[in-house]
Amino acid sequence: MAEDTIAFVFPAFISDHRDDPSHGVLGFSKVFQAYLSRAADSVDKELLSFHPESNPMLQDELRNQYISYIYGCSCAGILMKSGVKPAMTAGYSMGIYASLYTAGSISFETGLLFIQKAYEAIRKVLPHGQYGMGGVIGLSEKDIRDIAGQHNLNLMIVNRNSDYSFTVAGNSFHINVFLLKAREEGALHARSLGVTVPYHTNLLSEAAIKLSETVYTAEVRAPEIPIISALSQNLIINAERARMEVVNNIHNPFNWLATQVQMFSSGIRLFTECGPSQALRKNSKFIPGAGKFVNWNTLIRDNVTT
Amino acid sequence: MAKITESTRNEVREIVFAFFAEECEADKSQITDNTNIIKDLDGDSLMFLELIEIFKKKYNLDIELKTIGKYAVKHPVDTIGQLIEMQMLIIEHENRLLELDK
Repeated sequence: MAEDTIAFVFPAFISDHRDDPSHGVLGFSKVFQAYLSRAADSVDKELLSFHPESNPMLQDELRNQYISYIYGCSCAGILMKSGVKPAMTAGYSMGIYASLYTAGSISFETGLLFIQKAYEAIRKVLPHGQYGMGGVIGLSEKDIRDIAGQHNLNLMIVNRNSDYSFTVAGNSFHINVFLLKAREEGALHARSLGVTVPYHTNLLSEAAIKLSETVYTAEVRAPEIPIISALSQNLIINAERARMEVVNNIHNPFNWLATQVQMFSSGIRLFTECGPSQALRKNSKFIPGAGKFVNWNTLIRDNVTT
Repeated sequence: MAKITESTRNEVREIVFAFFAEECEADKSQITDNTNIIKDLDGDSLMFLELIEIFKKKYNLDIELKTIGKYAVKHPVDTIGQLIEMQMLIIEHENRLLELDK
């Protein structure tokens, strides 16, 4: 196995357990439970009651982030223990925390702390229930801007997954109107992402300042494994850049398309999604020449048998 | 406007059946025209988009995704059979697809 060409990528939220690659992976449950226990001790005792088969906890935005982070850390940990080392890591949106932990830049508990403090800061500056995010497939960026302009909608494009797949964020009423109009204009898919925070918008600038108080006093080290920024596509090579990434990630748009293309340009040929769903793998099919995705459980099996 | 021959029809059917069998890890022999894409195969819009891209490349089609999306709003696709029929219309009419409703 060509270890130097594998990237671990980390999703933001858990939305779907149907294709969870962890089923049947020896030892995953034990590792996951151990991390869950540490997270319960560190930030939220209720996390101990989480079970993947019955997961009302995933409806809670903050707990969903914790669980997603724990899953990503568990998955990457098992992979590395079995000898699969990434040449690079990247986090999709809030996947940045698991990316930093896996790269050795922060401790597991520091990652939890950042998630917790970011959410607390956001809740202090934005009223609950007035904001949201949406995903649109099948329209171009120009189409999206035209719809927003024609209907005076106050929203922002906060991520480009591919040439015809975008994430928007802003006022929830405007987002809902936009999604309706997007469907009328021919979007093949236009749905709310089911979150109440307009992540990656300048509406969270004040929250980012509050978060920085935690980030700049926590222990953050230079990554041992290169991390690529989903915001700038630059490598995060030292502690200062890692800190900046955590703070800027809250209130700046990212570009997953450019991130994956940049990883490919850097020599990455194989990607694995350290999460229970296959959203990033599915999306990669629309990024021409951007390498191949494999399920992480397959990597473990391959490595064991070779 | 492309002429749809029996050969094209068979080719499209074969591509659609093979695509969903592979993507959804389903037994191809169990997929029929009446198979519901979402309920029976757990399909999604990204698969639909991928299939459109496959046909765009294969038949060198000149059609915007939003044209297909607008058509699909009035003619929703639930089953494999409906999807095949829509693909035939896309191949035949390309960007003039919406004129079928006039």
